[in-house]
Parts: sequence; C-alpha cells; structure tokens
Amino acid sequence: MKTPTTLEALIQALRCLPGVGPKSAQRMAYHLLQRDQAGAGHLASALVDALTRIRHCNRCNTFTELEVCELCANPARDHRTLCVVETPADLLMMEQTLAYGGLYFVLMGRLSPLDGIGPREIHLDRLLNRAQDGMIEEVILATNFTVEGEATAHYIAESLRSLGIRSSRIARGLPVGGELENVDSGTLAQAMVERRAL
Amino acid sequence: MATSKRVESASTFLLHHYPYRETSLIIDVFSREHGRHSLVARGARRPRAALRGLLLAFQPLLLSWFGNNELKTLHSAEWQGGVPQLTGRALMCGFYLNELLIKLLPREDPHPEIFDAYEKAIKALARGASSELEPTLRCFELALLAGLGYAPTLQLDSTGKPIEASRSYCFVPEQGAHAEIRIETGVTIAGQSLLDMAVGDYRSPLTLQQSKLLMRSLLTQLLGDAPLYTRRLLQDLQSL
Repeated sequence: MKTPTTLEALIQALRCLPGVGPKSAQRMAYHLLQRDQAGAGHLASALVDALTRIRHCNRCNTFTELEVCELCANPARDHRTLCVVETPADLLMMEQTLAYGGLYFVLMGRLSPLDGIGPREIHLDRLLNRAQDGMIEEVILATNFTVEGEATAHYIAESLRSLGIRSSRIARGLPVGGELENVDSGTLAQAMVERRAL
Repeated sequence: MATSKRVESASTFLLHHYPYRETSLIIDVFSREHGRHSLVARGARRPRAALRGLLLAFQPLLLSWFGNNELKTLHSAEWQGGVPQLTGRALMCGFYLNELLIKLLPREDPHPEIFDAYEKAIKALARGASSELEPTLRCFELALLAGLGYAPTLQLDSTGKPIEASRSYCFVPEQGAHAEIRIETGVTIAGQSLLDMAVGDYRSPLTLQQSKLLMRSLLTQLLGDAPLYTRRLLQDLQSL
C-alpha cells in the first residue's frame, strides 16, 4: 500500500525536529492521526501561534511577544550591566541563580570558525549597537566554556575594547561543593592555571 | 568481534566536533600513529558526562577506539595535560591550524612529522607570547607542506643556483624562486627572507611579512577555491 502524499509530507515535516529519524517521525504521525486528533489540532494551532506572535526582543534579542521583553522593560533591573549569553536557556539558568540583577543580551548562537560561522552570521553588530546605548558600563561575557564559546568571548571583548566599553568574563573552576577527588582533569588543570592570589 | 580493529591509547589531538543524535558527539581527531579519524563519542553531550571536560581541542589526549568502518567508536579517553587551554588570539590561531589540517590532511594517513609540528605549535601558542604567534604559524605551515610532499625549495633558485641573500626573487608555486623573470602569479621575496625561512628564523620584520605572503600563495595553490574561515576571522580581528 502506498502512503498518501499528505501523510508522507507530515512524516517529512516531523523529521525537522532534533533526534527524530524516519522511524520516529512515522510513529509520531500515526499517533497524531490515529489516537490523538485533538492533540494534533492543538499542536498545529500552537505552532502557527508561536510562529506569528513570537519575535526577538528589540533590546536583548531573546524570544518575546512584545516589542521589548518584560525583563528589559523592568525599571528595577540594573541598566548599567549587560550579560551576554548564547541561548535563551542560558538566560533562564542565569536568572535562577538570583545572583545577577542587570540586563541580558542573547546571541542565539556562537562563533564557530571551523564551521564558517563568523561575526556576520550571528549578527554581532546588534550586540555592539546595544552596548553603545550610553547606559551600559560593563559587559559580562557568559558564553560557554567550550573552545567556540571562548572564541566568541574573545571576539566580543576585542570589539568592545575598540569601542572603549569595559568587558569581563565569568570565572571558571571547580564546582561549588566540589571535591578535587571527583573533578575531571581538564577543569582541575585549568583551575590551577587560573589560580588567584589571596 | 575478533576482526574489529582496535587502537589503544593513541597520542591524539581533537580537531573538531559535531553534535550527533541527542547526547553523542562525532569528533574529528588527529593521531600521531594513525592519522585523521572520525570517532563517535557516545553520551559525550550528557550534562554530567565525564568526557565533557576531556574531549577538548588543543589538548594532548590518549584515545582508544575500535571499529571497521570509516566512523569508529571511541572507547576511552585519557587526559595527558601539560598544555594550558588556549585563549585570546592564540586560540584563534589554533583554530587556523585545525582548519588547515581538516582541509588538507587526507583521512587515515599517518603523518607523525606533521603531528609533531602541530604539537610543537600548540605548545608555543599556549605559552601565549604575542610575538611568537606569527612565527609559530609560519613554521607549522612549512612543516605541513613538507609533510604533504609540497615543500617549497627555499635554498636554491629555479635554475639550481644557491639563493643569494642580497637579491630579490619572484617565487612561483610549483616552480620555485626565479632570479630574473617577473611572473604575475609569483610573490616577490628577498633572498634573505627565503634563507631565514629555511632555517626557521623569523626575527626580521621583513621576513615575517614576506613569508606570510609566500605561505598564503602556496597554501592557496593547495586549497583551491575553498575559503579559510579562520583567516577571515583573524583579519576581522586585526581590523578592529
């Protein structure tokens, strides 16, 4: 029996999700059509809604339904510091720490020199424009501690330096409550290299 | 599997990595005895994976893997250490070395001499002196070309006469240094610069500048039209 074209198209469309291959996509499509038509309708309308209503915040670039997201519009936040993170998930994590009261900028990516992802591809100019609003006194670089994250931080720091804006990098080392015995060698070695005077 | 080829504790550098499935990584590695290989590192992207702090670029590692296909499976990874993680401009230069290797080095072809040159270059970059960066890149580029069998002749001109320090030459890829003729595809270079390059002495600013142009032209010959992303990034950084 030949699969109807519409069903084929649905299976193909589901494969755009990460970790979904042909088999899982087929299973999902049959589940939605056979057992959960209401759920399928709900999914379809939620997708359309999200696509039409969600946009990037004009100031911090995160996802929002508003012109300027609530966090950026909040007058109680410290408008003098800007924390640069790679993804909205990183922003949420940082917020959960309750350690930071300033504003954010979400890059929505990172430089990856070996994949051809350069400053133009991640629109670094938007960050540089944002940092030049006259209020920002310090930009905190909280990109990941991967080689790509480090490259991104270095590039942004150099760009900011040429504009005369102060930048800093979050610290790295042993996890809080961590015991030397259980920590991986890379982290411990770098903690030794980056030790600080007391 | 008895037929499965197994490699134990090979001296290796990680060149690049790609996400694979939900929690795994595909890593592109360069090993001293076995050349470039692609390995699957299962579970390396799990939040608390022990491999996370280990599978880092620019760090000497001891890797073990097995498998018969082109894509092997990583079995274990051990930290060798001794090299601080690259930062700043040195990190960008490190990416440049990796891009050259990824684009020019054939797979599964051992090149211990290129590996040794790479290890030396990474250690020099990790020391981090900014005056050392450019000479390090030039030395590695020459070693890479030599290892691949494209070493330029730096001490003799195209007719086989020794290079004279005081003369100016026109270096044409695949032909060598011409003493008299000017050819458009060639790079003008002082005899002294060629002799300095031959012995790896980059203290003269003129040698540093001319060797850069010469190496660029020689590498372009091999790379063809494929652009070097890291070179563009380094140029962007320079122009800030």
